[in-house]
This record gives sequence, C-alpha cells and structure tokens, in this order.
Amino acid sequence: MKSPESNEPLSRALADWRVQPARNPGFRAAVWARIEAAGVPASWTDYARRHAAMVTGALLVALVLGGWAGREQARSQVAAERAEIADLYVQSLDAREMSMP
Amino acid sequence: MKNLWITVLVVLGVAGASYAAFYRLNDDPALRRAAREHDAMAWLRTEFQLTDVQFAKIKELHDNYGVQCARHCAAIMKARRTNAPANEIAELEAVCVGSMSEHFQKVAHLMAPQQGQRYLALVLPRIKDYTHEGAPTVQVNP
Repeated sequence: MKSPESNEPLSRALADWRVQPARNPGFRAAVWARIEAAGVPASWTDYARRHAAMVTGALLVALVLGGWAGREQARSQVAAERAEIADLYVQSLDAREMSMP
Repeated sequence: MKNLWITVLVVLGVAGASYAAFYRLNDDPALRRAAREHDAMAWLRTEFQLTDVQFAKIKELHDNYGVQCARHCAAIMKARRTNAPANEIAELEAVCVGSMSEHFQKVAHLMAPQQGQRYLALVLPRIKDYTHEGAPTVQVNP
C-alpha cells in the first residue's frame, strides 16, 4: 500500500490541470447533422429547438398579424354597422325623408 | 420536410387564434344585433351606455317628438303634393331641421356629458348630410 505522500505529485498535477477546449460555434449544428445523417427522424420539438430563431420569429409574426387583422376587421364591421344604424335613426326622425304616397 | 409543414400549421393556428381573440375583444355584439334588427332604441341604449332611467326618459322624449315629426311630415308632404313654391317647402324643411336639432340636444342632455357629446357628434352631421333618398325602415318605437 502506497503512503499518501507518494500520491502527492499526482494530486498536485490534477489540481493544476485545466482543460480549455477551443470554442466551436458549429458544434450543435454538427451534432444534428450527424443525427440526420444517421437517418434518425427528429421530433417536431427537436426541430423547433434546432430552428428556434426561425420558429419563434414566425410565431411572433403570426401572433401580431393575426391580432392586427382581427382587430381591424372587428372595428371596421362595428363602424360600418354603427354608421348604418345612426343613418337610419336620424332618417326616422326626419320629416323631410317621408316619401309622397 | 414533415417538420416544416407542422411548423407552418402551428404558425397558421397561432395566427387564427390571435385573429379570433382580437376580433372578439374589439367586437360589439349588442350594437351589431341592434343594427341588424334596425332597432334604434336598443342601439341608443347600448351605444351610449344608458341607465334604465335615462333610457326611459329618452324613449318618452322620442315618443313625444314622433307626434311633432308627424306634423312636420304632413305639412311637408302637403306642400309637395300641392306643388307649393320651393321657398315654402324649404321653409318647412328648415323648421323640421331646427326641431330635429333641438330634439337631439334634449336627448344628449339626458345622457352622461361625454356620451351626449359623442351622440351629437354622431347625429348632427347626419342632418346636414341629408341626401333626399328613400324612406327609412328603422324602428324607433319598438
């Protein structure tokens, strides 16, 4: 059995050891490329995660455009019907509007 | 490719849901129902947020004005039937306009101040925008 003193250089070497891997921005894409190359079908959630920026952007655009279209459509319909009933209301009280028998 | 189509469907679904939600938020079903049924009193009640008391007073005012309006109508029709001079018809029409404006002021006075101003802004220009079109079918006295 070795004494603790005999392991000291190894412990020191391990304590001083620092791993500094080079940063690889394409790592994630490379992993997915390898998964695809292996023929494993990715689920939609995985797909969405991989294309997070594109999916999020498309969802935001859909949310804004859909909401804007709904708001405008409702407002224009309400405005048109308000104008119509207001016209009829005023005409109903307007003796000049009465037609000849 | 399948995932791309799923994404397109999800995006369309979100757009549809957003459209429906904002449409509902900005819609006014009570006003649209009143307009569809040509029910002017129901429209007044919902559009200008009338209380029961305000509504009852305005309805009474309208009923009373109906009698006055019928008198004006009869006078104008008689003048037209007998081919009265244009200035006489114009005079009768001016009386009608004056009495209508006065009536609208009285109605506005019965509403909350802000609603009364909105009411006048909506109806007064319509007296001026008279276009000599056909007779109305609106239901003022349900």
